[in-house]
Amino acid sequence: MTKSPKELPRQRLLYLHARTPSPLSAILGYTPIEPIKGFRPEIVAEEAEWPYQTVHDAVVDGWQIIQFPHLQAPFDDRDLDVVGYEFILQKMEVVDG
Amino acid sequence: MGDQSHLLTDAEVANFIVTGYHIVHPDLPPGLNEKIAAQLDALEDNPGDAITETVPDLHQVLDHPVVVGALSSLLGDTYEVQSHRHWHCKPAGSGFMSWHQDSTNNRDHHINRFLGLYYPTDITPEMGPTVIVPGTQFRNAPTDRMATYTNIKGQVPLTVKAGTVAFTHYDLWHGTAANRSTVKRHMIKFLFKRTTENSAPTWNHEPESLTGGHNWNLRGQAKDPVNILSFANPLGVSQSDHYKERAIRQTCWNHLLGKDAQ
Repeated sequence: MTKSPKELPRQRLLYLHARTPSPLSAILGYTPIEPIKGFRPEIVAEEAEWPYQTVHDAVVDGWQIIQFPHLQAPFDDRDLDVVGYEFILQKMEVVDG
Repeated sequence: MGDQSHLLTDAEVANFIVTGYHIVHPDLPPGLNEKIAAQLDALEDNPGDAITETVPDLHQVLDHPVVVGALSSLLGDTYEVQSHRHWHCKPAGSGFMSWHQDSTNNRDHHINRFLGLYYPTDITPEMGPTVIVPGTQFRNAPTDRMATYTNIKGQVPLTVKAGTVAFTHYDLWHGTAANRSTVKRHMIKFLFKRTTENSAPTWNHEPESLTGGHNWNLRGQAKDPVNILSFANPLGVSQSDHYKERAIRQTCWNHLLGKDAQ
């Protein structure tokens, strides 16, 4: 009997913006993308939940890094751009919803 | 220069350079905030730049000595209240707004223009407050590049008391939370601009505040401009970014001191 998509593992994504390109450095930004129709992570006015303090914490919890920060861009020693270094992680799980 | 009792201190100016925002609480006449809020509640259409003609009492906010003092301190006595202003009404049940910088990516490392956000009612976390990210005003980041950020450590929701005016650097990253309350959330945005370069400080500057030297041990606890500009790191960014921030802050501070004109 064929399983419905909801019974199969689906891709959970996590965008973590770390202080440095090291997976051991502190996280400055956190965005989960759940494989649930209509899901949208929100900026909150209350204290946000921070389940992980580092990218490594997430890896220990079973997340896999699928994209490391791009470091090949031209380096400017005077100007600033985005906050932190972006890691993208995934976890394949059966998810409710 | 006229009344100097409401000018900012060296530390307040330094903190504005570091964080990109400064909050004041003008003691407006009793009932004024409520009157303005009632008028806004009753509006059916957004009058755009004509909001001050529609709600003339808003001029009392712009003319308050505490507001004038902050503006004079940061933009000089000849600052301009620009014609663009806007009523930001966030209806009950409306969703959050993603992070963005206004306009195009032509950012300014000086203090030449910023916003004044006036809130006529108390703003609770449920009402969809403006949320800002301190220290991001010197970042030249296309808004598209912010699409994968949601909550950022150090973000500040402007949950404020009625009558508060928050001055925010034009390039500061900002968004809003969702309005989960049953009421409209009102904010009037004004835009202010420098018209003349400083030849001297326009705030309550005390030259001796610059003579204390660096004290690494103070870090985030510093109360003097030298150490605030050197060590404050509101987001906890990396050393490389922090060193760049320091250089930009110092350039900005020197500009405000009038050193560029000397």
